[in-house]
Amino acid sequence: MILARLALRNVMRNRRRTILTLLVVIAGFMSLSLAGGFMAQTFDGLSQAAIRGGIGHIQLLHPQALEGDEGQSLEFSISDGEALASRLREDSAIAEVLPRIQFMGLISNGPKSVAFLGSGVDPVREPQFMAVLDSLKDGSKAKGGAGSRWLSTSSGSRDVILGVGLAKSLGATVGSSLTLMSTNKDGGLNALDVEVVGLQDMGLRELNDRVLTVSLDTAAALVDAGPTRSRLSILLKQPEDTARELPRIQALAGKAVQAFPWFELASFYKQVKLLYLAIFGFMGLVLFLVVLLATANTLLMSVMERVREFGTLRAMGLQAWQLTSLLQWEGALLGLCGSGLGLILTLVFRLAVNALHLQMPSPPGTSHGYELNIHFVPMVYLCVFIGLQLTLQFSALFPGFKAAKLRIVEALRHV
Amino acid sequence: MLELKNITRAYELGGEKAGAFGVSLSVPAGCLAVLAGPSGSGKTTLLQLVGLLDEPDEGEVFLEGEAVSRLPEKARCELRLRRLGFVFQSFNLVPVLSALENVMLPLQLQGIRDEDAKLRATEALDRVGLSDRLEHRPGQLSGGQQQRVAIARALAPKPVLVLADEPTASLDHAHGGPLMDLMVQQCRDSGVSFLVASHDPSVISRADLVFRLMDGKLVATESTKVTA
Repeated sequence: MILARLALRNVMRNRRRTILTLLVVIAGFMSLSLAGGFMAQTFDGLSQAAIRGGIGHIQLLHPQALEGDEGQSLEFSISDGEALASRLREDSAIAEVLPRIQFMGLISNGPKSVAFLGSGVDPVREPQFMAVLDSLKDGSKAKGGAGSRWLSTSSGSRDVILGVGLAKSLGATVGSSLTLMSTNKDGGLNALDVEVVGLQDMGLRELNDRVLTVSLDTAAALVDAGPTRSRLSILLKQPEDTARELPRIQALAGKAVQAFPWFELASFYKQVKLLYLAIFGFMGLVLFLVVLLATANTLLMSVMERVREFGTLRAMGLQAWQLTSLLQWEGALLGLCGSGLGLILTLVFRLAVNALHLQMPSPPGTSHGYELNIHFVPMVYLCVFIGLQLTLQFSALFPGFKAAKLRIVEALRHV
Repeated sequence: MLELKNITRAYELGGEKAGAFGVSLSVPAGCLAVLAGPSGSGKTTLLQLVGLLDEPDEGEVFLEGEAVSRLPEKARCELRLRRLGFVFQSFNLVPVLSALENVMLPLQLQGIRDEDAKLRATEALDRVGLSDRLEHRPGQLSGGQQQRVAIARALAPKPVLVLADEPTASLDHAHGGPLMDLMVQQCRDSGVSFLVASHDPSVISRADLVFRLMDGKLVATESTKVTA
């Protein structure tokens, strides 16, 4: 421990230089930790958007459902979807199973017809587990429109909720009557009159221009689905168990369907995550390099100022490796102090920024911004701490080797 | 106690050969010996060879009968730590440590517990008359006081031989004389041998043995008051 104590005194020797070095370490810690917290917020938001936007934690699909376009509606579907959903609901790990019918076709107001992507959902269960109500826009704001509401739960109703872009292109508002046209599962053309009961904003312009939502009954009537369902979205009681539960649920569901975790299906999430990891990874690399060079410079300067002192210590019997250790201790102390102060300042800064409720601009391709809420992710802080500590230890290596290689007689003559 | 046999260590200095050439000498235990001679006569070279800071080209250094000059680096470090003490011309105290901590340092490097090291260091500083300067840092001490701390640091680990390179050169006469008296007294009290490199007459006059060097060669050995 004498080396650690000596290192502490040495670190305190040139306080101005030490403070400057600590500022570099603190800045590095804060930048990386805050960036990590921001990334966590983004990933969390995107994952929740994907899960609560319809995918669920695990989704059951026909094995060929992801391989190509369907020639006709429900070509690659789960033939006994409702029965399978009922069976799965009895599993203790599953919170809910939401059957869906995916279909496409044309929606018409008479003079104008527009292509759409439709979802048939359970009007009772869906709002309990998915964020469908959050996406409802106030339709009364549209000219002549009434307020948006969710789909009616009565089986005879023919309600539809339109994406805001789709409604706009049709000049439709809440209360408008429209006609849905689609092919049924045998390839025949079918049509159904529906009433607009709400407008929805999915957050992505491309989706808003194309999507509509109807009840499972309406969708089943349009495409003549019967008990067949396109997919089953499963919500788990313990979302963090998704990867572990996947094989068990696959076995439970049988070979006629294939189970996918949400993160394999959420392509937007995957792309954004990769992009962020690349951006922040590069930024982290640059920051680590800055810290490395700054601390290596500090320690090297301190070695050059202490050549005779090192010669004296070596003459007194200090081994060469102990000099390297001394420099390692100095690097370690700089890292510990810098990271410690960086942690405190990061937490304070994070609280202050979050308290400001800053609104971030809309990300590319999305239609609305979001509130900045930098997450506290202990693992990120730990990784940044370890990364910085390793950087500082690495930066102390060269000065340490230089000190250890000094010839004692020359070091003692050094002025 | 210390014996040099036919030691040669040559190096180039300003295009000319310098160092020590074929030096043989012997220092008994409890003796204050001085390597005397003008600058460039080889005093410091011999001191560095005896201190195991450098290796001779030829010859051998024997410390308490053991050939030590070609030991591996680790063993030489151990010897320096446990059996040798150093006093330098410019004191070479660690500036961030107090007088007490400077003296404790070699003891702590030996692995001695802090409490014991503190006790021994306090005693060593007391012996050199600095018991009231324990917590002073080198920058707060005069040159003479710093050199006393350096002597205490050299003696605290109880070495068999203390090597001092021009210990009075950075001090004025008023401080140099008393410092040498202190070294003589320590030599007598503790039985430790001192090998001092100096051309200062006040140092030479206090020596038991004087080795006169000229151009790297031992030209005369003067025994004044050898007791061993």
